Amino acid sequence: MKDHTISRVLAFFLLISVVMLVVAVEAVRNINRSVASSDWVNHTHAVILEAEGLLSSIRAGDGAMRTYVMTGDARDLTACRDALAQMAEHAEVAKALTRSEPAQGLQVVHLESLANQRADVVREILAARRLDNAPAVQKLLAADGGGDAIREIQRKVEKLKNEEMALLAERDTAAYAQAQTTRWTVWLGVTLDVLLLAGAAWLIRDDLAARRRAATVLQTANEQLDAKVRERTAELGAANALLSTENLERQWTNQALEHQLRYNQLIINSISDLVFVLTKATKISRVNPAAVHLIGLEAADLINQPLSRFVRLGDGTGDQTTPMIDPIVTALKEGRDLRDQPVILEDRRGRRTRGRFTLFPLRDRDKVVGGVVTVQVNRAKTETTP
Amino acid sequence: MAPPSPSPARRRYRPIGLALALAAGRLGALTVDELLNEPNLTPKRFANYFDDFAYEYSGEVQPPEQFLTTRRGDCDDYAILAGYVLQRKGYQTRLIHVRMVGRVAHAVCYVTQVHAYVDYNNRHYFINLQRCGGRIREIANTVADSFEANWTSASEFTYAYAENKKHFGSTVVKTDDPARDPDLIHP
Repeated sequence: MKDHTISRVLAFFLLISVVMLVVAVEAVRNINRSVASSDWVNHTHAVILEAEGLLSSIRAGDGAMRTYVMTGDARDLTACRDALAQMAEHAEVAKALTRSEPAQGLQVVHLESLANQRADVVREILAARRLDNAPAVQKLLAADGGGDAIREIQRKVEKLKNEEMALLAERDTAAYAQAQTTRWTVWLGVTLDVLLLAGAAWLIRDDLAARRRAATVLQTANEQLDAKVRERTAELGAANALLSTENLERQWTNQALEHQLRYNQLIINSISDLVFVLTKATKISRVNPAAVHLIGLEAADLINQPLSRFVRLGDGTGDQTTPMIDPIVTALKEGRDLRDQPVILEDRRGRRTRGRFTLFPLRDRDKVVGGVVTVQVNRAKTETTP
Repeated sequence: MAPPSPSPARRRYRPIGLALALAAGRLGALTVDELLNEPNLTPKRFANYFDDFAYEYSGEVQPPEQFLTTRRGDCDDYAILAGYVLQRKGYQTRLIHVRMVGRVAHAVCYVTQVHAYVDYNNRHYFINLQRCGGRIREIANTVADSFEANWTSASEFTYAYAENKKHFGSTVVKTDDPARDPDLIHP
């Protein structure tokens, strides 16, 4: 069975990586947006600072101008010029800062115009004072509505500041929203990742448990198999021992049978009566030494010879021709004995010997397969060839 | 206005004397003439002269001799003097004013040939030139990064000791579209 756990765990980790990547990209984008929002907040502060700087440098320049008019001190003149230079710098920067905001930009241009008008008046007074033209100075100062001009500039600055504060609130809200979005994104991503990690951990734990269960089942099966093998081995051992005993007993039996066979053979060989073992077709299959001796042929020559060649039932007094129905064949077919029948034996030289014939059919499971013929020879009545 | 030039003999031995004086621990005050007559003055060698100068803020730009004699000054004094000296040594310089949030505006002198600016805050360091691009926005970004701060606007300005007045040129605003920066539209 294919193991899907690895691919599942890999899929989990791939998903976690994707979530992390998405969160990271989104967080960086949010941070960039947040930085942009923060830049706009800083920008708004900068506009306010420049507007305030413009106003304060006008005031400083005006104050330094009045002091210089009174004292004629060059340091006051320098201070006044510095203040006017700073005013110009503030106006320049404020204009640049409000380039992208047409409404505020127009206000700054107007403010710069008012400031320049004020600076021109101050420079005119300074020039008159440097020439020690007191009447001209007095005239210029009398005609100067400095306070009004500065108050007008102040009103304009306040209006600009108010608008910038409104923008500031708006931009701060945007920055706050961006920060919140970043927080939500990060926490959502982290939560999702934790859940996915928990899922992966559960999957791994479940798989480990399943593997442990499978290992336990396998171990149990192995133990059972071992037990069966041991049991079967024991049975085989016992059967083998029994077979060995039986073999031994069979060996002993065979030895006993062989012994008995040799003993019987010896008995048969030692008796003086002729013994023929016949097939069902009345051919000689075995003979004893007495038959070999009497007939005068070797046992090998006698084998497969028909018994009728050497043995003829009858006492030799009646019809000497071979009867149509051989009583030996009939007795074998019928499975009956022929006992103590007169018989004439004929050896290889044609000499005849009288004797008594007995036939015992041989049976194998009630079926006649042959017979055993014994001929008791009357030694005294051996006849020569006719 | 610069003082008269020294004789050729003095000019020849001046770098050795200057080096000995530097090695001996600044035996005498550095002068604008010495800087101007340094034959191999590069922006880095210029910056090397100021490694033991102290920081002291002043609203006005100090005359160069005062700055060099007292060995105290601020970024304006240093950047303006660098612009003054290096321009006379054949370098193309630009004075840049960077305004950062909650800080006094910072001035640096950008040297076009070396694509770097000299900064009074880097005077103690071995690497006292800060490499960056030549656009005002790039310079402002690098300067603000060195302060770990945000900048709001940056201006290019010129200054003449005789006039004692800054003239502001192009001003770049951080929130503006960088493609519409004045120094990009009108370089």
